[in-house]
Amino acid sequence: MGESNFGTWIFAFLIVAVIFGWGGIGGGSAAAANYATTQDITNAIAAQTSALNQQSLLLSSAGNNYETARLIDNQSMLILNQNNTNLVNAIQGFNNVTQSLASGFSSVNQNIADLGYKMDQCCCSIKTLMLERELQASNTALQNQQNIAVNQAQSEFLLSTMGKWVANAPAAAAYAAK
Amino acid sequence: MNPILQMLGGNSNGTNIMLQAFGAMMRGESPTDFLKNLAKTEPKLQGLNLDNLEGTAKDLCEKNNIDMDSLSHKISEFANSNKS
Repeated sequence: MGESNFGTWIFAFLIVAVIFGWGGIGGGSAAAANYATTQDITNAIAAQTSALNQQSLLLSSAGNNYETARLIDNQSMLILNQNNTNLVNAIQGFNNVTQSLASGFSSVNQNIADLGYKMDQCCCSIKTLMLERELQASNTALQNQQNIAVNQAQSEFLLSTMGKWVANAPAAAAYAAK
Repeated sequence: MNPILQMLGGNSNGTNIMLQAFGAMMRGESPTDFLKNLAKTEPKLQGLNLDNLEGTAKDLCEKNNIDMDSLSHKISEFANSNKS
């Protein structure tokens, strides 16, 4: 049977619903039956749709978070790479400066060596000049001494040749008597 | 839990008996016979006038402050949505 008999059955359903609980009423039980009606299904679908929307939002948010994290990661990698490049460049620059300094110091050392050599040469020349002058002075003194000696010898020869007259000259005695 | 499954689920006594009643109706059984047979094992049905289902239903709704028309409408929806 079915549709035509439903008019009678509805009261049986009502009794069952009130006595045993159904559709959220009757039965004195909080766990009253709630078999789904069309409206319940519609509401449930709406709730499920809402849940799916929330899930979609969460997935979208998760996707956005992942994309954000990926972009941050990429940006961080770029920054690290740039820092690394800067560091390498800085080290290369320091190496260049160090090489330049080393080269400069080498030149300075060479110049100092050259200067030392030149100074040595200069001192040698000065010493030589001084010795030459000393030699010349010595020669001059020697010549003077030789001249003096010659003169003295000549004087002694002359005095010897002149004999006693020189020492006992009459005029000398008379002069001495005065 | 899936809200649809949640709505379809439930194993309360009321649901089971409603399903039994629905099955009995579809099999062409008498609602009075169904309830009287059920009363043999369900003390809650004992003492009710099951020969006058309409009067008993109205009396129960009135005593429990239940809108009979609204509940009837809901039961009709339930029955229609489960016909195949």
